[in-house]
Formats: sequence, C-alpha cells, structure tokens
Amino acid sequence: MSRDSAASAPGSSGAHAGRPVGRKTAGSRWGRFLEGGLLQGGVQGSPVLRLFMRWVRRPLLPVMRLWRRNIQLKVVVTTLLMSLGVVLLLGFVVIGQVRNGLLDAKVNASQSQATGGFAVARQKAEEAGSGTGDEATTVDGRPAQNVIQWMSDLVESLSSGGQGAFDVVTLPAGNDSGSGRGPRASGDVIAASSVPEALRERIDTDPTMAAQSYTRIFYDADKESQPALVIGKQVNDPNNDPYQLYYLFPLTQEEKSLSLVKGTLATAGLFVVVLLGAIAWLVVRQVVTPVRMAAGIAERLSAGRLQERMKVTGEDDIARLGEAFNKMAQNLQLKIQQLEDLSRMQRRFVSDVSHELRTPLTTVRMAADVIHDARVDFDPITARSAELLADQLDRFETLLADLLEISRFDAGAAALEAEPIDLRVVVRRVVSGAEPLAERKGTQIRVVGAQQPVVAEADARRVERVLRNLVVNAVEHGEGKDVIVKLAAAGGAVAVAVRDYGVGLKPGEATRVFSRFWRADPARARTTGGTGLGLSIALEDARLHGGWLQAWGEPGGGSQFRLTLPRTADEPLRGSPIPLEPKDSRRHRGLDDAGLPRGGGEKAATVPAQPTGDQGPSRGPLAPRSSAVTPTADPTALPGSGSRVVPRPASGARRQDDPPAAGGQGNGEAEGTPSETVSRPDARSEGSYEQGEAFRGR
Amino acid sequence: MGADRGRGARRTPGRSVAYAACGVVLLAGCASMPDSGDLRGVESTPRQDAQVRVFAMPPQEDAPASDIVQGFLESLTSDDPNYETARKYLTTQAAKKWKPELSTTVLEDGATIGPERAADREDADVVSYPLTGDRVATVDAQQSYAPAEGNYSQSLYLTREPKTKQWRIDKLPQGVVMGKSDFQRNYLSVNKYYLASHAAEGVTPQAVAVADPVYVRERVDPMTQMVRSLLTGPTSWLGPVVRSSFPTGTELADDVTTLTPDDQSKLTVPLNDRAAQVGMAQCHEMAAQLMFTLQHLTPVVEGVELQAGGKQLCALTEGEAADVAMRGSVQPAEYLYFIDGEHRLVRLPAAGSGTHPDPVPGALGEGAKELRSVAVSRDERSAAGVGVDGKSLYVGSLVSGGSLGEPVLTSQGATAEDRLTAPSWDVQGDLWVADRDPDDSRLLLLEEGAGKPLTVDTPGLDGRVKDIRVAADGARIALVVEKGGKQSLFIGRITRGEKAGEAPSIQELRSATPEMEELTTMSWAGDSRLVVVGREHDGVQQTRYVQVDGSTPEGPAPAALTGVKEIAASEDDALPLVAYSEDGIVRLPSGTQWQKVDADGTAPVYPG
Repeated sequence: MSRDSAASAPGSSGAHAGRPVGRKTAGSRWGRFLEGGLLQGGVQGSPVLRLFMRWVRRPLLPVMRLWRRNIQLKVVVTTLLMSLGVVLLLGFVVIGQVRNGLLDAKVNASQSQATGGFAVARQKAEEAGSGTGDEATTVDGRPAQNVIQWMSDLVESLSSGGQGAFDVVTLPAGNDSGSGRGPRASGDVIAASSVPEALRERIDTDPTMAAQSYTRIFYDADKESQPALVIGKQVNDPNNDPYQLYYLFPLTQEEKSLSLVKGTLATAGLFVVVLLGAIAWLVVRQVVTPVRMAAGIAERLSAGRLQERMKVTGEDDIARLGEAFNKMAQNLQLKIQQLEDLSRMQRRFVSDVSHELRTPLTTVRMAADVIHDARVDFDPITARSAELLADQLDRFETLLADLLEISRFDAGAAALEAEPIDLRVVVRRVVSGAEPLAERKGTQIRVVGAQQPVVAEADARRVERVLRNLVVNAVEHGEGKDVIVKLAAAGGAVAVAVRDYGVGLKPGEATRVFSRFWRADPARARTTGGTGLGLSIALEDARLHGGWLQAWGEPGGGSQFRLTLPRTADEPLRGSPIPLEPKDSRRHRGLDDAGLPRGGGEKAATVPAQPTGDQGPSRGPLAPRSSAVTPTADPTALPGSGSRVVPRPASGARRQDDPPAAGGQGNGEAEGTPSETVSRPDARSEGSYEQGEAFRGR
Repeated sequence: MGADRGRGARRTPGRSVAYAACGVVLLAGCASMPDSGDLRGVESTPRQDAQVRVFAMPPQEDAPASDIVQGFLESLTSDDPNYETARKYLTTQAAKKWKPELSTTVLEDGATIGPERAADREDADVVSYPLTGDRVATVDAQQSYAPAEGNYSQSLYLTREPKTKQWRIDKLPQGVVMGKSDFQRNYLSVNKYYLASHAAEGVTPQAVAVADPVYVRERVDPMTQMVRSLLTGPTSWLGPVVRSSFPTGTELADDVTTLTPDDQSKLTVPLNDRAAQVGMAQCHEMAAQLMFTLQHLTPVVEGVELQAGGKQLCALTEGEAADVAMRGSVQPAEYLYFIDGEHRLVRLPAAGSGTHPDPVPGALGEGAKELRSVAVSRDERSAAGVGVDGKSLYVGSLVSGGSLGEPVLTSQGATAEDRLTAPSWDVQGDLWVADRDPDDSRLLLLEEGAGKPLTVDTPGLDGRVKDIRVAADGARIALVVEKGGKQSLFIGRITRGEKAGEAPSIQELRSATPEMEELTTMSWAGDSRLVVVGREHDGVQQTRYVQVDGSTPEGPAPAALTGVKEIAASEDDALPLVAYSEDGIVRLPSGTQWQKVDADGTAPVYPG
C-alpha cells in the first residue's frame, strides 16, 4: 500500500484501519447474504414480512456477532449439540431395549396366566353343563342353563385371582348378543372400549386360537386410563354357546419402570451434556487464552509498540508458539531498528554532502562568473563552453538547494509559519511570475473562482512554491494550450487545482510523479527544466500543512494537480472542494481512452503514449477540448466523488456500494482507491523508503 | 487443570484423601439397599373387591324370543340407573306399566327359563316363557329386605310386534328378579337412621338414633338414593317406634339429580320448601340423621349442610352429629365383665389386652352371691346378676361398699335351665329379663332395675324365650325363641307404654335367621347387626353375623371357634368379640386370632 502512496491524504493508520474494515466487509457480506439469499428470494415483495424479519433479526444480531467472533462459544455450542445428539440417540436405543425386555417378560407371564384362565373357564362351563344340563332341557333339545348369573360368577371368580394384576372382560362372540352373553367386566373396566375391535374380529375369525394385542384400558371410575396387554380367546359357556373371554393386564408397573429408566437416562444425559460442555469450555479456554493474548500482542506490535512480548509459561505447544512469536517480534524489532539507523545515516549523509558541496561550489561559481564575463574575449568554442558551464552551474545550484530543502524535510527540520492568507493573492503572484514563460509557450493562464476570498491558515512562502511549481509544470507540459487555475473553499478546506490539456499522465503515473528524480522516460536527457525534486518538495510542503497534493491525468487528455489545505492549520481534512478528476475529463465526456466517443463514430486524434517528465518539454498532439464543458469549481465536491485516473473499471461500480454517509471520507477513500490516495501506515518506514528511492534515483 | 489438581493433591494429600474417602462412602451408601433409616407411616390402600359389572345390551335385530328373555333378565343385573336398556326389551305399553323399583325378588340361582309355550294356539306371534326359581328374599318398595322361601313361578309373555316383526316382552311381573350372587354384587345394605320416638329421659337426655337397614343399588349413585330414601321415611316395620326429624313431605329440591361431597368431604343437600321453616334444633337432628346415614358410603362424607329455598339451614360435622343424637355403637364400653371361677363379677378394661380381672366394686364383686349370669347397665353404674341356680335376680350398684338387697325377681322354674335368662339393660336403664319357666314363660321388665316386674306383652310370640338382648337404641329387642327343640332368632319392636308403669309390648317379631336350626347364643354387634352362634340344618356350629332384616352382611365372619356357649359383642367395632367356650373366656381382637382371657370365667358381657 505504501509503495504507491504519493499523495499526502491523511488516511488513518493502516494497522488500525485493517481490522475494522475487514470486519465491516464481513458484516456487510453476512447482511447481504441474509437480505439477498435468505430474504429477498421469498419475501421480496412484502414489506410487512421484511419488516417482521428485520424485527426478528435485530435482537439476534449481537448473538450472531458473538458467534462469529468467539471461537470458544462455537466449540462449546458445537460440543453441546453433538453430545446432545449422541445422548438422545443412546437414550432412544436404551429405552427401546428396556421397553422390549419389560414387555417380553410381561407378555410371557401374562400369556401363561391367561391360558390358565381360559382353561378354568372351560372347565367350569363343562362342570356346570354336565351338572344341570339334563334338568332343564327345552323342547328343542337346547339346554336352558341359566348363564346370566353363572357368567357373572365366572368373571368374579376369575378376576378375584388377580386383584390389580389383571381384569377380566367377557364379550359376546361375533354379533351374537343376549342369552346371557352381554359384556361383563371386573374392576370398573369399560368393556367395550377397552378391547380393540381388531382383536375381537381376529377372535371371531379364528375361534380356536388365543390372540393378544396392546390396548388402553378405560375405567368407569375416576381412574386414569392406562396401557395394557389384552389376551382373548373364545370359550363356550355351559350351554355350549361361544363367548369371548379377555384378560387385560395393565402395564402400570412396566410403565413405571420405563419412566424410571427414562428419568435416569435423562438425568444422566443432562449431566453428560453439561459435563462435556464444561470440559470443552475449559479445554478451549486453555487454547484460546494464549491465542487471544497473542492477538492482542500482535495488534500492539503492529501499532508500533515493538517492545511488547508474550508471557510464556511451561513447555507445551502453546509455550512454543509464544516463544516463536516473541522471537519473531524481536527479530522484527531488530531489523526495523537497523533500517531506521540506516535511513538516518543516509539522510545525514545527503545533508552533509549538500553542505560540503556548497563551499567548493561557491568558489567554482565565482570562477565561472569571471570566465563567463570574459567569454567575449574567447574563441567561440571556449565561449560556448563558458556559457554551458554557467548554465550547468545554475542548475547545480538549484539542485543543491532543492536537495538541502528536501533533506530538511527528511530531518523534520522544516517549520511551518502559518498565518491566514488569501490564496488569491498567492495565485495572482504565481501567475504573474509565470506569465513570461507562458507567453513564450503561447499559453494562456486563466484563474477561476477568484471572486471571493479564499482564506486559509498557511505558510505563504511554501504555498507559493508549491503553486509556482504546479503552474510552471502545467505551462511547460501544456503544449501551448490553456492552463486553468481553479480556487475553491468549502467545508473547512480550501483547494487550488491546476489543469492543463497537455499530454497528460499515463495510468500509474499520477502517483509516481511525486517520486524524487522520477521521469517518465529514463532515457530522457536531463538538460532542461528543474531538478526533478520540485514535486517532491511540493508534496512535502502540502504534508507539512496537513494538506493533500494529488494528481490526475489521462493520456492525451491533460492532467490536473490539486492542492487541498485545511482552513485552519491543525484541522484534519475530510475532503476537498474540487473534484480530483475534472468535469471535462474524457470519461465524463463519454470518450474512451483513445479519445474516441464511446459508441460514437467521430474519430479523434489518437494520443500516443508520450514519455513525459517533470522537465520534459515534450509535446503531444492536441487533445480535443470541449468548449461546452467549462471546468467550474464544485464547492461541494469531495474526494470521494469520483475523480480518478482513468481507466479504473471497477472503482465506479464499487463506489456505488459504499454507504453514502460513511463514517469518514478518509476511510472510504482508503478502501475504494487503495492505489490512489495515501494512507501512511508508518511515517518512518515511508520516510526511509523515500530516502532509498532517492538514492536509487541518483 | 490436571497440573493444578496434581499440585493441590501434593500440597494437602491428607485432606484430599479424606475427601475422596468421604465421596466413596457416600456413593457406596447410594449404591446399596438401605438397612436402616427414619420411620414413616404407611398409608393403607384398601383393596377393592373385584366388582363385576354387566353391561346391558339392547336387543339384537331379529333376535329369537328366547334371546329376548335372556337379554332382558341379563339387563336386570346391569347397573343401568333406570333400567333403560331393559325397557328396550319390552313393548311400549309394558315399558310404561313396568315398575322395576317396586320390588326385587332374589332367587337362589337366578330365574330359570322354562321351555317356550305357545300362549295362543291361533296366534303364533304370542309365546310365553315360565320363570322359576327358589325364592331367597324380597326387597320391597321401601327397599326393606325380608327373607322369603318357596318357589318362584312367573311367566313372561312375548309378542311379535306387527310393525317391526321383533319379539318383545308384553306382559311381565312387576319388579326385578335376579340371582343371589347378582343381588350381592349389585345391592348394598345401608342403615338409615331415625330417632327413637320414645323420650329418652333419665340416663340419656339425647335423642337416640335407630338404624333402619335398607338395600340400595350399589353402583347407581347410592348416596343420592340413600338421601331420598331417608327423606321418604322409615320402613313400615320400624315406623311406629321412630320419628323422622324431617317435616312431612320434605324432598330433595327439584333440580337435584346427584349429590356429591365437595373437596372438603362436605355434602350439600338442597331440600324443598317444606323444610324451610325448621328450627335450628330440628335442623341439627335432620343433619345428624343424614350424617349417620351417609357415614359408611363412599365417597366419605365428613359434614353435611342443609339448604332449603336457596339458603342455608344449618351445617353439621361428623363430631357434632354425635352430640345431637346418640347411637349405641359410639357409646364406648369401658369394661368387659364376666364371672370368674368363684362366681364373682369381675371386669377387664374393654380395649386393653390385660388378662388379670379385677372384681367390680360393690357387693356383686365381693362374692356376696354366687352368680350365673350378669348384665351391667349401659352407664356402668349398676349391674344385675342371676344367682347360680338361676332362681333369683339381684340388682346392685357398682359402687364400693354398696350392699346387695333382696332379689328383685325370683323364678319358679324346676331346673336352672328353666329359670331366669341372662338379664339385659336398655338405654333408659330398664332391666329386661325372661323367665324360662315352661309353665309361666314370660318376658319381664323392671323399670330402673327395681320395683314390680312388668310382664311384657309379646303378641305373635310362639315358643319359649331362651335369651334376650335389648338393642342399644332401646327400640328393638333380639329374642332367641325355642319351639319344638328348634331355636331361632327374632327381632321385635319395643312399643313403650303410654305412661310410666305401663308395660311395653313387643310387636311384629320377625325372624332374622330362618335357616338356623339351633341357636346357642347371640349378641348385638352393631346398629343393625348381630353376631350369632348356631347350627344350620345338617351343619356344624358356626359363628357369623346377621342383619336384623335377616340378610347376611358383607364382610367375613369371625374366625371359627368350637364349643361356644356364650358370646358378647359390642356395638362398637373396635372392641373385641368375647366368647365363653370350651377354653374358658376368649376374645378376638380385630385382625388376630382368638386369645384366651380367663380359663375359669363364664358369662362375658359388655354393658347392655
């Protein structure tokens, strides 16, 4: 990031910006997922539903945030859920087994009891039938044994054997009724509803076999109905008429046993789940605590407090992590220290060299002046040499002065003498100073936005130096076309933009123009113009004010340099009154990179990539200029409003997504155009980097 | 964590070991069955009888006539409240005329259905079925049980209804008929209580409650049935000697269908306007009657509240009811009395388990006269004793130092067996005794145990009175009557004389043990229950309970005991049954076996 940062926009520190931005992005992604994936599919059309979903989601948001951020919570919840699942599964299996076991035992015991009962019933019927059968035989040979009382007595005697253990019910066989075979039941059982219909039919169809089923006994009294096993068989009464005899075995005891098992399992399961959760919590805490500590330490390290170290206890993996971390931090600190020392040494070296060169240069200068003055007496070749010597000495002096100036900046020795000044005065002075050059180039310098005073607390000398640099550059590279100087003030900031319509800047050059000794074409002879340090000094001047100096340009479409200063010296900048990309840029006019109208047929002059430099007086072909679009000051335009070096295909679309009222324009800027604006993670590192660049450039 | 625990353990090893040991001990305690612990009461859950219910079934479509008869008889044994299902077996006219509540005939084995008979030769759509059986008892419209004997023979006439072509019963005897065991399953004997009409001045200033046993259908809301029955009035046999405190015409309010006690076991009884004007005292008597009547029914009633015309008349709890009217069964007997080997009157605490009798204070306990049988008044202040020869009756006070005067009565019988019976005191303090002299058999009453003996008129008494016991309420008397070498128990109603000094009479004697041939001894054992020792035809001697109406009460008979010569029971269930048998005096505390009390004693009695 810092590699490209040239403009002095005061973005917030990268270390601090990184995490919140990342989180925010994640959050908005989650939000988009919810809104887009979850909600928009189904409830897009219903605002009521959407409102409802929002209302439901709102209290969940903190929980979800906690879920995302807390690994301990995640692990504990996952453990709880999984152990709960295992316990439930186990519980079902165990309860099923116990239930089957209980039922098997009960069924076996019940079957033998019922079989005995059926035998007793048959035996009684035979006894009664043989005992009195011959006494009362009807005419048609049918014994009219009085079975009404016999049946009741039978049910009573059968049921008296198992008080509470079973109940006895008799039902008529089939649809037969009367003849003393009405339903009878012991123990308050409701006969008809307690015996399932399917069992009755089964016994009707197969009278010789006993059959069993599960049912629910309903009681006549205020007794709860309960599950039961019912075993039935068809038996004959003393008259040899069939009836159905049922034994009903309530499963009360089995139910109790089962609920005991259930209760035990539930209790044990609860304990297991809670225990597992607690174990997971403890274990994760042991791991997470050092990790959190490491994260905190890393944050502090990245904030520049390089002396922070982790506390290491023990010899386990976590301790190894901590040791490695500490070692890394120590090495980093060492390297950074070394780099800082080196950078300081280099700066002093430059400064010393400049100073040391001054004295001999003064001598050389005096000698050269003498020679130059006497050049009329020399032969033409010698005279020409004398002129060259004087010229290059001038250039040398300037270079040396610039070097001294920039080393003052590097050393932090530059002091700001700020006082309220009217930038119009400064601009006027600069323009009039550049008039002669402009006349030579055939360029006209126009000042826009000078109707009202543009006052800011600034160092007039430095601002003038910056503006002079910009205006001279614009005139030199303006290829004779107009140069427009625009002034504006709004929202605690003032800005001066210098627009030319020369060869412009290629993509990526907008930041590089501020590099020291940078030139578009390395092969270009450094024969004319400035020292290559002018824009660097201007950038440092802007930074000293707490302002920005930014460049925009397009190949063949000219460029614009914008200086933005806070209205008061110590106020942070939040935006600029002038958009960086002028309104008459090609993109705004709907032209493509080659100057062709997008989708249009009019052929415009092709602008070949021209090597341009600070000093390079190279000229490109004329860029078509629309007179209809006048670059006027837009006082409300802020840096975020879309002035960019073209082409930048994604940035436009990207900007739409950004919240319009983002907390800080600086943030939005940093996020949206990482290569454009400046965010300075570390002043020192950037300083050292620039120093290195300066060396390399030399 | 492990490291922490390890360090802790190393730091205080002793304490950790102690904690671990405690934990192991605790866990071990949980993991084995306890062999000691705190004491706790056990709530008894009475086991219900295996009640067999018959579900009445409506007649089947196109059922043959015999099935209709069977189904009808079967539906009579169901607990259908108004015999709605049974009525479906009847033709419409017959259903209107048939009144099942008019009587219940109990047959030994139920009604046997005879062969089908054509009632009319021309008409094949009218048939009849004879119903026969051995009569055991009848319950009349007043729900009063009476033993019966003889053959039962009735006929059911069936017609095939022309429209529906279904057989239906067209003509049938009134009332209900069923077998004995069905009757015992379906019916429940309950005492209703009325107040003795004779003024119980003297010893007991309170009103005296007299039990009037009736049979109600057990599963057809017996509580409401009993309240209605109580309001209707006493049965005709008891009627002349009791009064009901309910004003004539009192009934349940019209909108009342069932009565159920509320959560506090309190029963609210709304009455019609006839009862609206009663005073507080009368209302309390009414409530006491209700309270006594409902006390043995389930659900338990612990208090009644009477309402009339929508406002409360009075409310009475169980304890207050005892203050309003007295019942014999709740008068606690303090001592059990008997005659020891030296023919003295001795006594034992009735409820205790001691076996060392003390002589009673007074002359009878000092052995002034050798006694054969005794009776102690219900207030336990005086006693009457018959001399060892059965000739003379002495009355003495149970106060120490009291002397025994001349005999108040002497018998002219030839032998001891032909002289005086054991006397009996009634609740008013009058002494009853019978003279067994074959020439002059008579029942005598000594008012206040003194004075001239009054001969009690006993119309309808056939035979010689062998034993007498007056009921605690003073309104009924149990007599053992011997005739032709066969003894039987009769219950008579005591009708008091109009004024003092006039002899009372005993009316409408009725047999309580028709099946017994030989009756050794008997004693009252409840408001309407007696314990008798006797022998049935071709049977052995047995001890059992009988109801005053001749039915056999529910519940088990007392444990068997051979050679019982005399028996004494208290109306209070809590006091043990005491008998004089071959082993001397034995008693039967509830829930145990017979225990010997005194080897030489004879003639055990409770006060009364």
